[in-house]
Amino acid sequence: MRRAGVVALNTFREAVRDRVLYNLVFFALLMMAAAIAVGQISIGIEQTVIVSLGLSAISVIGLLISVFLGVALVSKEMDKRTLYALLAKPVRRWEFLLGKFAGLVLTLAVNTAAMALGLLLVLIYVKHSLERSDAVVLVAVYFILLKLALIVALALLFSCFTTPLLAILFTVGLYIVGLYVQELRNLPVEVMSPAMAAFTKWLSYLLPNFENFNVMAMAAHGRAVPGALILQNTLYTVVYCTIVLTAAAAVFSRRNLK
Amino acid sequence: MKSQNPIAWVLLLVLPLGFAGVWRLQHGIDAQRASLSQERDDVLLRSGKLVKVMSLEYAPLLADIYWTRVVQYYGNKHVRGQANLELLWPLLDITTTLDPNLLISYRFGAMFLSQAAPAGAGRPDLAVQLIQRGIQANPDYWRLYEDLGFVYYFDLKNYQKASEAFLEGSKRPNAQLWMKIMAAKVAAEGESFETSAFLWKDIYESTPDPSVKKNALLHLQLLKVKEDCRQLDLLADEYAKRFGKRPARMSEMVQAGLLRGIPGDPLGFAYIFGEDGKAELNLDSPLLEQQLLLERFK
Repeated sequence: MRRAGVVALNTFREAVRDRVLYNLVFFALLMMAAAIAVGQISIGIEQTVIVSLGLSAISVIGLLISVFLGVALVSKEMDKRTLYALLAKPVRRWEFLLGKFAGLVLTLAVNTAAMALGLLLVLIYVKHSLERSDAVVLVAVYFILLKLALIVALALLFSCFTTPLLAILFTVGLYIVGLYVQELRNLPVEVMSPAMAAFTKWLSYLLPNFENFNVMAMAAHGRAVPGALILQNTLYTVVYCTIVLTAAAAVFSRRNLK
Repeated sequence: MKSQNPIAWVLLLVLPLGFAGVWRLQHGIDAQRASLSQERDDVLLRSGKLVKVMSLEYAPLLADIYWTRVVQYYGNKHVRGQANLELLWPLLDITTTLDPNLLISYRFGAMFLSQAAPAGAGRPDLAVQLIQRGIQANPDYWRLYEDLGFVYYFDLKNYQKASEAFLEGSKRPNAQLWMKIMAAKVAAEGESFETSAFLWKDIYESTPDPSVKKNALLHLQLLKVKEDCRQLDLLADEYAKRFGKRPARMSEMVQAGLLRGIPGDPLGFAYIFGEDGKAELNLDSPLLEQQLLLERFK
């Protein structure tokens, strides 16, 4: 585990060296522009739009980082041939994968925390104070981080057995499908054969449900998120990431690296 | 001595001159295009449900964008004095489908829809539909019942329905006491100066938006004018009883002791008697234009 920690720390350092955190400047500019502009061009949605825009930006920026960097975690090491030097040391392949995953999640956590801080500062600027109900914004940010961790795990899995381009397509595709899992569950079973109905039902539970993490509307309107949902989503992410990372480790351990 | 790069000198010359030329050309192109194209308003996707599905997980942000479009669309039409607001409903429909909890879109949207042109779209029926949709999604928010009562009272003149809306709203959490009183008063009296003034005053005091505040103030001023003119006409009737003819000027009523001084409208312009002998706004009063505009579209 210590070895995985070393890989994680180096992955974080590499991301910082690659200027991944520069997106924070873009986020800051976006939020400042929104804070100034919204009051001028709309009515009564200053707070709502700041929260919606802030959370959407955190989500989109995080998505881009998690998909592109998540896929590059393994492929870049292979292309640069640094993976061979690393695996020649006493580092197991699963430890390498786990370290890479943890490193990128740490990068995302730092990035997301910084953006959340920026969002709260803009909220204070707009509202002149923070209320207890604004804590839901932090819950929404936490849910975004959980979602990103799951996406990193999926990107890592796909990058273990296919090309980076296909891995990106698979990850983005699964993310979009994961947003409509509820729709899959609501398909009219009357028009389907029993076997098909059972299949879609099972499929809807097997696929990652990204809609679980979407509390943006609640955050925008200052509605509290139940503590049970926070716990359930945390457990869901831990369990799902464990499944995906185990599958990734299994695939990667059998992969011929010659 | 090191030789200077001639291309650098050319670039220094070309950059400002070139961009100055581009600037001028673009102005010319803009002018050409403005004369060619007509204003085009369009909502390409009219299905709120489809837009919601396509928005992935960003429906709340998209709702804010659509709401801003509503405000901009209404504002632009309002500034140009255009009465055609046919896209207002589809835009509000999409906004509220994307975010059913965006309360401001029901409240202001209903106001934009219900008021007679040019202040609104003149569609109180759609305003009622919008508020009822808002109530369905936010049943505990008493202000929506107030808005519903407002539309029934002012625009549809359905005092029974207005009273029911105020009464229903008074039962919601945090509803103000006057909702219950208003329900009884509207049911008993229908339209009255006090009720109308109270409702507009509440809008004036509770809205955060300057343009809505201005609109509410205008209605309050015009209500005051209406009430003042009614009172002055009663006094003119009294004058006619005493002197056998209606007064031609306010000063005659002052001389007769019926008025202490020449009364003015909320902007300070003295009221006058029109050709029909009825009290009315001074021709110099800016309120006259607003009054005529509102009456024209009633």
